[in-house]
Amino acid sequence: MFRFKNLALGLFVPVVAVFGQDAPRFEGQIRPVFQARCFPCHDAKNKQAGLSLEERDDLLKGGKTGAAIVPRKSSDSLMLSMISSGRMPMGGAKMADTEIELLRRWIDAGALSDRDKEMEGQPLVAVTERELSTSIVGAKCLVCHGRRRQEGGLDLRTRASMLKGGKSGPAIVPGKPEESLMVKRIASQQMPPPHLQEQFSVRGLTSDEFEKLKHWIASGAPEDREQPVDVRAEADAAIKPKDREFWSFRPPVRPKVPEVRGQDRVRTPLDAFLLEKLEAKSMTFSKEAPKLTLMRRAHFDLLGLPPSPEEIREYLADSRPDAYERLIDRLLESPHYGERWARYWMDAVGYADSEGGVSNDTLRPHAWRYRDYVIRSLNADKPYDRFLIEQIAGDELLDYRGVTEYSADQVEKLVATGFWRMAPDPTYSTEQNFIPERLDVVASQLDILGTSVMGLTIGCARCHDHKYDPIPQRDFYRMSAMVQPALDPWDWLAPNEQCVGVGAKCDDSTIRFLPLLSIKERKLVEEHNAPFLNRIGDLEKQLEVKAAPLREKLRAEKIAAVPADVREDLQKALDTPEAQRTEIQRYLAGKFLVAVKAEEIEAKFEDYRKEAMAIRRQIQEQKRSLKPMPKIRAMFEMGGEPTPNRIMLRGEYTNSGPLVAPGTPSVLSVGLEPYRLEKPAYRTQTTGRRLALAKWLVQPNHPLTSRVMVNRIWQNHFGVGLVASPGNFGKTGLPPSHPELLDWLSTEFVRQGWSIKAMHRLIMTSTAYRQSSRSSADNHTADPANVLLSRFPLRRLDADALRDSILKVAGRLDLTPFGPPDETEVKPEGEVLTKTPKTGERRSIYQLQRRSKMLTMLDVFDAPQLTPNCLRRSNSTVASQALQMMNSELVRNAARYMAGRVMDSAGTDAGSQIERIFLTALAREATAEEMQTARTTLEGMRREWLQKLESELPAEPVRQKAEWLALSTLCHTFLNSAEFMYID
Amino acid sequence: MKDRENSGNTRRDFFSSMGDGLYGAALALLLGNDLFAANPAVVGSAPQVYDLKPKKPHHSGKAKSVIHLFMNGGPSQVDLLDPKPALEKFAGQPPSRDLASEVRAVRETGGLMPSPFKFAKHGQSGVEISEIMPHLAKRADDIAVIRSMFTTHLSHENALFIMQSGRMLPGRPSLGSWVVYGLGSENQNLPAYVVLDDPKGLPINDIQNWQAGWLPGVFQGTRIRSEGSPLLNLHAKEEWPGAIVDLSRSLLHRMDAAHRDQRPGYSDLEARIASYELAARMQIAATDALDISKESEATREMYGLNDEMTASYGRRCLMARRLVERGVRMVQVYIEGQIWDNHGEIEKNLRYCCGKTDKPIGALLADLRQRGLLDSTLVVWGGEFGRLPIAQKPGPTAGRDHGPSGFSVWLAGGGVKGGTVYGATDDIGYKAVENRVSVHDFHSTVLHLMGLNHRNLVFEREGRNERITDEFPARVVQEVIA
Repeated sequence: MFRFKNLALGLFVPVVAVFGQDAPRFEGQIRPVFQARCFPCHDAKNKQAGLSLEERDDLLKGGKTGAAIVPRKSSDSLMLSMISSGRMPMGGAKMADTEIELLRRWIDAGALSDRDKEMEGQPLVAVTERELSTSIVGAKCLVCHGRRRQEGGLDLRTRASMLKGGKSGPAIVPGKPEESLMVKRIASQQMPPPHLQEQFSVRGLTSDEFEKLKHWIASGAPEDREQPVDVRAEADAAIKPKDREFWSFRPPVRPKVPEVRGQDRVRTPLDAFLLEKLEAKSMTFSKEAPKLTLMRRAHFDLLGLPPSPEEIREYLADSRPDAYERLIDRLLESPHYGERWARYWMDAVGYADSEGGVSNDTLRPHAWRYRDYVIRSLNADKPYDRFLIEQIAGDELLDYRGVTEYSADQVEKLVATGFWRMAPDPTYSTEQNFIPERLDVVASQLDILGTSVMGLTIGCARCHDHKYDPIPQRDFYRMSAMVQPALDPWDWLAPNEQCVGVGAKCDDSTIRFLPLLSIKERKLVEEHNAPFLNRIGDLEKQLEVKAAPLREKLRAEKIAAVPADVREDLQKALDTPEAQRTEIQRYLAGKFLVAVKAEEIEAKFEDYRKEAMAIRRQIQEQKRSLKPMPKIRAMFEMGGEPTPNRIMLRGEYTNSGPLVAPGTPSVLSVGLEPYRLEKPAYRTQTTGRRLALAKWLVQPNHPLTSRVMVNRIWQNHFGVGLVASPGNFGKTGLPPSHPELLDWLSTEFVRQGWSIKAMHRLIMTSTAYRQSSRSSADNHTADPANVLLSRFPLRRLDADALRDSILKVAGRLDLTPFGPPDETEVKPEGEVLTKTPKTGERRSIYQLQRRSKMLTMLDVFDAPQLTPNCLRRSNSTVASQALQMMNSELVRNAARYMAGRVMDSAGTDAGSQIERIFLTALAREATAEEMQTARTTLEGMRREWLQKLESELPAEPVRQKAEWLALSTLCHTFLNSAEFMYID
Repeated sequence: MKDRENSGNTRRDFFSSMGDGLYGAALALLLGNDLFAANPAVVGSAPQVYDLKPKKPHHSGKAKSVIHLFMNGGPSQVDLLDPKPALEKFAGQPPSRDLASEVRAVRETGGLMPSPFKFAKHGQSGVEISEIMPHLAKRADDIAVIRSMFTTHLSHENALFIMQSGRMLPGRPSLGSWVVYGLGSENQNLPAYVVLDDPKGLPINDIQNWQAGWLPGVFQGTRIRSEGSPLLNLHAKEEWPGAIVDLSRSLLHRMDAAHRDQRPGYSDLEARIASYELAARMQIAATDALDISKESEATREMYGLNDEMTASYGRRCLMARRLVERGVRMVQVYIEGQIWDNHGEIEKNLRYCCGKTDKPIGALLADLRQRGLLDSTLVVWGGEFGRLPIAQKPGPTAGRDHGPSGFSVWLAGGGVKGGTVYGATDDIGYKAVENRVSVHDFHSTVLHLMGLNHRNLVFEREGRNERITDEFPARVVQEVIA
């Protein structure tokens, strides 16, 4: 029935085409066009991007980005869109419209070749097993006939399992599509079952897809016996030796600390590196910042909060020579340190408490455990290498299925893998749980890993080879193979607890949570829930007591309505327990549906309906108080044979390319142990792919791991990193301003046991850090962007620090750490605020991080939308910030509370009040002039408020109230001042 | 100010006179000496300050502003702008396998369903428009209908993101953000990118529709409400007595000026002081711009403000005109919830949708033209996708399900060739087949009309040159351009 040819190109099968007499042919009309315009690059010899245009079949086979044309579908043909948009011929004039029209006509008529005549007029298109298994069977059948479910005993994952078939026999008969069960079921539209398609996020086969399946079977259902692409660093054609020479792909080498003239300004080796460059320009550091400026700076840098007046007095009184160093140590020991620095890490990995994607932006109920893990790890100064290993492969460090109760350490390791569950993920919605959306989630997750840990934009290699860096597309898919056993688009775990889209019962095998096997935690929840559950039970009983007689009544009516001759048999059938019914009884019970539904009772009995509604409302209310059983939002493998990984040409799953095996970017090989897989012998059945990745990453001389992290630490102290593009250390990133310093720091980081706190200490005790931010205009002219660090940069507080500080100076900051996030609410006018408990508000990091509903205060001050992550926040200065600070209830309330606190500690004397405000808000004392100005203003405010109140409330004593209002307006002015919002 | 608006001065005059006048101090700070700042440069190591100063376009585009009438929900092309007589012939027949494989609510699939509405040719150009849009029909010679739009996702959320930003997931800048990033705004006292949402509720994806994504926040759309206080925190809940405000402002100014003077070289501090002055200015400017009580009775009648059915949408159309008149670059007007999402009762529901919007839209086009603003204002009408030509839940209350493979939009004004119909769907209106226009083509066309080249409008982010069309092939639809 079908004939094959040109086996060198793989297997070809025919596609029916429209044959007109005037349909253009490749040889006569098309090739001459290519010859003139395209052959310089795309003949059989040159084959740029793997594409030759010499034969029609070459176009079908395509190049690195897949087929150049799709017969009969000019609009889906890559070549035509490249040509008609003018992107091809590259560097040449655009093709004439008449030529483009000819190409379009040729494709739409079936892309015919003269050789098709010999083939009885049937043009050819290749169909391979891999095309079927990824794009057709994979996307439309495997959810019910794959790894975790085998409906009807049928597994369609491989050719062998298709042949084996299920309860109804083999799924395919090679060579005979018309006899293949699969084809029959699809032809009759039985499969995929229409009634399940929505639930499983599956659509029926298109006619093209169906044709392909039939042709594959017709041609004998040939098997792909492909081996993964061989990638060995020593002989990798995709990477040139020169590529490996790029600075960030070579291990850091510890440089010698330079000799500088200004030895008196060298406190740490960092200073020497920086001074060397300054001195080359005849410059030096700025003078040391005043004691309190440094104190405020250190407080914000390590805690994200201003010092209190008491702390200021204590520090001022400390005259020991190492008072500053002691301050740094004290701050590093503070539990609030972790809260500040977790924010940076969470930006980098894209933490959120909601899934994002679609409008209802479903919450991620257990994500906060990961946030707490990060805070605790940072507070404990967990070595960065361990921190990474736990997040990348914590689950592969223990046999979690073999344990009946987790130790605290084991819980931590599993929670840490939440790292892999950060990307925005819309797949909780059945309309967005198709393969492309899942692939987007995986790509975002790799992007997060790439930019936050490796400083590489590996996401750029998803659709094609990286345009600038030596990261072939192949390496993107080798990296995705490392996570695929756990994050498998062809075997997807639902992101939520409701199991939308998985179409199956909702248990631990279908969702991405591991039960938190900690008896203590479970017990706490059980104890909390018990009274509510009891109450719910009671209410349900009440409901049933009221419903039972009515149901019986309706049932009797229904039975009475059944024809008399069957009524008795039916009654008998119904009286028999379901399992013991005979065939006929089963039929009867099924035919006459006499079971009474709740809605039917309600429709009949209005009084009951009202009562039932009231009771159900109460049940709902009780349910709201229930706490979910503790779970871990973890990353773990699903066991069994992992789904094969293929390169997806153009990033499309319908365009599958060669097979790949897990591996790390091949360009990173200098001085490194290669990625080595060791499968742990666990019941958990994990492959060890991510553990191997983690171990590969934390090699002491890894060219990127330590550099990327110390750079971000630096950035969060100085505003800009030594590499100003913190997520891109590649060719399009910015080169380091001080390469030797970066290398010295990264080797020092490893030498100090990957201690992050040691890096803070090192940086913060340097002369560079202790400089003043105020310098002459000349200094700004000589070093405009402060690349040389000739002064400390003035920085605006970031959104979180600003909100937290306003609350702190107002005495409204609730410092309770950890646990589920605080809920937020959207006010009618659109402002998003914390649902405030009486005691105050918690720090921003503990507020619900809902992607679509960020706290307005954070939003207007540039808190990033984490899609998927943010390595450095932007910094805008816009009028909406001023409106927020001037008019929002948050700031106005804070000012009122702050005034109350000031009066509590400073009494009613204007001078004492103003002193207190300066200390609280600006962490310094007022100058005489400032005192005078503030005093005049306060007195004016007192007068005005008094006048207003007296006219409004003539009968009441209003002086005290006026003083308080005056003081709040003064506090409000201070909260709005630049000095409050900027750190020197 | 009103006199000046009506005196026929250009917006540029209006703007520069503001620069000389009352608001000089703040504007001078914002604009520096150079009225046109250079186009956004590459992010260097120095923190880049992003602003809304007017920027030079890449080429001279006729359109200076955009009014995007966003018909969220997915208007049905075969009932509004793309007549398909063949549907009469095939009424009731089951859909093809390919069409069936694209149905969202698989279990509710019915047969092909003809439109209940009649079409007629209008204007000199003879553009065919449905009988339920009589006011638009009068402007037939102003509009260019594209009948061959297509998108790639069949759910609202993703399709909306595609329409706004070119990609199906949130996080990328919307078209409006790109426009104001590329061109800034001609009025520094109003937001550059204004969103007029329906008081009855936000569209699906709510505020994420006008997000700036990874573009700096200053380019994000600003929601202006057509009822109540127009901007978030434009005014405090309880206003302080004027004398208190003055005392507070004067102290703040002294503190900030001293703070700035002690720290030479930090331009950010200058900008911050300006932002406070502008916030104060905005309180007046925004209130004025949105005060439609200043409009004549004839205008109010024309926009349908006296009829409950059209009043709400009419208000927003009128506000849109007042905003572009004042130099606002991008205005998006939304419609309540999902009214175009007609899964049921197609006839009744489409009559309601058009009843609400048709008169105001006709008025907007006519009003822009009579004020000489239509040449410089690009008006865009369309949703995130269209609807299928088959019935959903067949029967007397049948509707139509989402149809991403072919749908219609129209453009008017701002350099558009009026009276044009471009592209075609197949015989039944299911799939765009002739001169297909992707969303990327659509974006590049809108940008082109604004004087921007989508290939050159780039934002460098982590070493990537980001564009609204990314690496997708995109073509400016020259055929709809005059």
